[in-house]
Amino acid sequence: MNAQNKRLPGGGRIDRSYPVEFSFDGQKMAGYRGDTLASALLANGVTLVGRSFKYHRPRGILSAGPEEPNALVTLGTAGRREPNLPATTLELGEGMAAESQNRWPSLAFDVQSVNGLFAPFLSAGFYYKTFMGPTRRAWKVYEHFIRKAAGLGRAGTEPDPDRYEVRHAFADVAIVGGGPAGLSAARAAAAAGARVALIEQDFLLGGQLLAERSDGAAASWLNQIEAELKSFDTVTLMKRTSAFGVYDGNVIGLVEQRDQVGPPRTGEARQTVTLLRARSIVFATGAIERPMVFANNDRPGVMLASAARTYLNRFAVLPGRKVIVTAVNDGAWRTAFDYAAAGAEVTVADLRAAPPTALVAEAARIGVTVRTATRIVDLHGGRAVRGATLAGPYGQSEAACDLVCVSGGWSPTVHLTSHLGVKPRYREDIDGFVPGAFPADRFGAGAMMGNYATADAIEGGHRAGVEAASFCGKSAPVSAPSKLDLGETITTMLREIPSAQGGKAFVDFQMDVTTKDVELAHREGYEAVEHLKRYTTLGMGTDQGKTSNFLALSAMAALRGATVPETGTTTFRPPFTPVAIGALAGRATGHHFKPFRRTPMHDLHLANGADMLEVGLWMRPWFYKQSGADVNEAYVAEMRNVRQAAGLMDISTLGKIDVQGPDAATFLDRVYANGFAKLPVGRARYGVMLRDDGIVFDDGTTTRLAENRFFMTTSTAKAADVLSRLEFLLDTAWPELRVAITSVSDEWAAMSVAGPKSRAILGAAFPSLDVSNEALPHMGLHESQWEGCALRIVRLSYSGERAYEIYVGATAGEQLWSRLLEAGRPFDLKPYGVEALGALRVEKGHVAGPEIDGRTTLDDLGLGRMVGKRSSFVGDVLRRRPALLAPDRQRLVGLECIEDGKRLRGGAILFLPGEKAHGHGRGRITSVTFSPERGHYVGLALLAGDVATEGSEVVAVYPMKAETVRARIVSPVFLDPQGERLHG
Amino acid sequence: MASPDFSLSVADCPLIQVEGWDGMLGQFESSLSAALGTKLPASVGETVRHKNFVIIRVAPRRLWLALDDGTQGSSLAIDPDLGCSVCLGEGRMRFSLAGADIASILSTCIAVDWHAPTTAPGRAVQTSFHHVPVLLIRTSETSCDLVAPRSFARSLQDWLADG
Repeated sequence: MNAQNKRLPGGGRIDRSYPVEFSFDGQKMAGYRGDTLASALLANGVTLVGRSFKYHRPRGILSAGPEEPNALVTLGTAGRREPNLPATTLELGEGMAAESQNRWPSLAFDVQSVNGLFAPFLSAGFYYKTFMGPTRRAWKVYEHFIRKAAGLGRAGTEPDPDRYEVRHAFADVAIVGGGPAGLSAARAAAAAGARVALIEQDFLLGGQLLAERSDGAAASWLNQIEAELKSFDTVTLMKRTSAFGVYDGNVIGLVEQRDQVGPPRTGEARQTVTLLRARSIVFATGAIERPMVFANNDRPGVMLASAARTYLNRFAVLPGRKVIVTAVNDGAWRTAFDYAAAGAEVTVADLRAAPPTALVAEAARIGVTVRTATRIVDLHGGRAVRGATLAGPYGQSEAACDLVCVSGGWSPTVHLTSHLGVKPRYREDIDGFVPGAFPADRFGAGAMMGNYATADAIEGGHRAGVEAASFCGKSAPVSAPSKLDLGETITTMLREIPSAQGGKAFVDFQMDVTTKDVELAHREGYEAVEHLKRYTTLGMGTDQGKTSNFLALSAMAALRGATVPETGTTTFRPPFTPVAIGALAGRATGHHFKPFRRTPMHDLHLANGADMLEVGLWMRPWFYKQSGADVNEAYVAEMRNVRQAAGLMDISTLGKIDVQGPDAATFLDRVYANGFAKLPVGRARYGVMLRDDGIVFDDGTTTRLAENRFFMTTSTAKAADVLSRLEFLLDTAWPELRVAITSVSDEWAAMSVAGPKSRAILGAAFPSLDVSNEALPHMGLHESQWEGCALRIVRLSYSGERAYEIYVGATAGEQLWSRLLEAGRPFDLKPYGVEALGALRVEKGHVAGPEIDGRTTLDDLGLGRMVGKRSSFVGDVLRRRPALLAPDRQRLVGLECIEDGKRLRGGAILFLPGEKAHGHGRGRITSVTFSPERGHYVGLALLAGDVATEGSEVVAVYPMKAETVRARIVSPVFLDPQGERLHG
Repeated sequence: MASPDFSLSVADCPLIQVEGWDGMLGQFESSLSAALGTKLPASVGETVRHKNFVIIRVAPRRLWLALDDGTQGSSLAIDPDLGCSVCLGEGRMRFSLAGADIASILSTCIAVDWHAPTTAPGRAVQTSFHHVPVLLIRTSETSCDLVAPRSFARSLQDWLADG
């Protein structure tokens, strides 16, 4: 096991009494509770952590937060494998096993690092130019190898056994960011009386204050305010929680990581997505330090100055002893001073000619070498930085080093504020973008607003907290926050213009975009930042360009001779940080993926050997296993039984709508294409609804229960759509109608007894009921009570046989189903499933979902006669459009297979005999079944009207199986065209 | 169920829906109030408990009369010129949830703020539970009923049991 040779003997916010063992690329190492994976790796002297995306260059740890572009690792194995995790955000846990990515065979020796030699061929947009020939299909060949060569980590392919959760939370004031501004805002809002949620991505509160010494004034201030916040019952501290998106209605998407303090508790989620709804939001998201751009600026050992300070003061890690700090601002000097105090040999190379004299004097006092007007132009070293070439007023010089701390200024973290459309606004004094004007319910504070001094952040946070609480009507008096002065000096920084001289100078570390790529994009006309982004892939990595965005646009601005605000920014979109798909799904996987609807007879179906099928959300019997060895055998047997004896079908899934009111008949007259106003009480009628555009919407039957009350059924699939449509029409088109519509789909258990023996079965099941043709004719209604429940019998047929739809209260469904089966046993009554149901209706020529597919009209389906000369119903006007009346429109026909040993298939394309089987043909088969009545396959099809002549032939082509079969065009009603079976 | 301080029971939910016509609401409510012998909830989400049922205003012109367990639901005679009623006694299930952990468990089910005035004890809220429309009736500080469609009940019960 590696010793923690870079760990300081004291200090930091780590718990040295809790050592933590972990491994990196199989090598065991030790850290402490309170470490991140990155800090523990640095403590163990690991500088090489990953390989770059395109060139496979060695990379180290650049940052100490979610902006990390280089140090991406994979955690876990098998189903738990999760790639592309920034080591800088991973709380070190016992037994954590991390792997580096994008290297082969090892991180230290990566064969694909030869890609660097081919850099001239791998510039921005190279694949558009280089791999387009020699044929049009060539890219298909290249793509495989390019994608293998470039990339990040690989996700696991096995099911993830861990639990994830999605939850909802609410707050008056949500505060994003637990730094000094956020903490101050939370305290103020809570004291004003608001219910507060404080969101912090780290496992410690404090933000940049965690980079201060752990025994100084900042630590005292932090301890005090954290204790204050904990004293409020109304404050929820959400650590280890990243805000990844802000959405309409002040909904903030959060992802929380499980803590690493101990093993997972039973049922504990590995990650939890929280949808937090807040009345107001305070953004205190801080700022991200910018790298600097010079040749080989990506060498392991190059680190943001603030990150280097964090590793030193928070984690007690001294990653280097010969340190060069290069900067364009004052802040980085504090890193230099702290490293010098820790015993490092430090040189400050400040691009400014005259940094503040106080800083220079302090540097002299503690032995820090200062070189003004000096910049790094090149770095040396392979897997770790060894030296730098500095360029200053007196020319170039070489300096040995093992750590280079860079600070190219700061970019306020405006990503989240931009998600809802607040445009970033350029502030010249800080040379960065801050949020534009907020709406009334959102506020900003601290470095995110460009206020980099800690005292300003605390004051700004306090003000934002008070205002955010006030927006929620919480205005209790609030005392001023404790002050904290860290003695920071804030002076105007110098803009560093990225240099492209020498070796590769990276603008975007993760996507391997260099200054030369930006220049190339400019030369080739991709000057707009959005074009630059897409042409170079800049900012399109998992880090979303957090460290690269400003560098690139300032480089492009310089090339264009424009200002930064003229050049603009790209659009910031969610997610701010990557979110695992598993976390977004939460528990909605496997049998929880969607809710299932079960009919009242569900358990009986299972007990009686039903093979169930998902139909929409419903679980329905597909076929019954006792009917046949497989579905094909079973459905034919079930069909035969219905035609010859009787079958029992669960139709509870039909949409059922109660329509009541003095204007109910008028309402139905308008929503159905055929009339209902004159439907007698106690009678049912088949009806078809159209959409506004004249296309058929749904069909079903409606029964008149009383003068002002109807019972409507819809197709299973369209039940919700029809109800919604009816409500819409009542609310918007005809609010004057006194009609109430209510879904009663769940109220009724419904079953259909169909077949020549159905009447006898009905009589046996209900001995007191007169089931004669006179008492209960086709389309007739009977209502009564059965076993204390409402009973409704409507004589309707879908199969073409005499049939009765029997409705009973849902609680009595099982009982009635059993009763019918028992009563029907002497008559060979057997249950049948949806496969047989569909086949029966095809034989009868009834249209269903495959034909009512959102493209067909009444005339297409042969239903135009139902309407006659009626008008003033929904869809009437537009159904008369010339295009819908064209003679070559596809219309419903029947087809029968005329080749022995062959079959028709749904979806087959229809051609005329002799026609080349190419393109969309003349039509398509919509539904097929084997017809026991005909002894061969029959089907319904939509075929061009100008060739749909009964008796002629078509050729059905099914490319998926390379099948071609001849079929004859016939009437779509294959069975009992006079309807004698169902009327008698 | 992982939480020790949470209980769930599921029962039938006898229910009658009544609705008044637009323009006749005042007369409808007066008539209904007299028939029921109690005042009606004034706004959507309010409830009034009376005898063995709770009256819930689920929409501006629509009320539900949720009957206690064991009470048989039936239709309620309404003057057809004023409104109508429909018995929904078969199609809903009542989930009764109780315990100190109820807010935490519900947070994984519905997007309802347990601490908001709109969900205070005695209030009702229509919401979505795992994509299924449900009515939440807050019965006390640590309990509530969820009225859910019968066909979805077992899926929702599985979800709660896995919470």
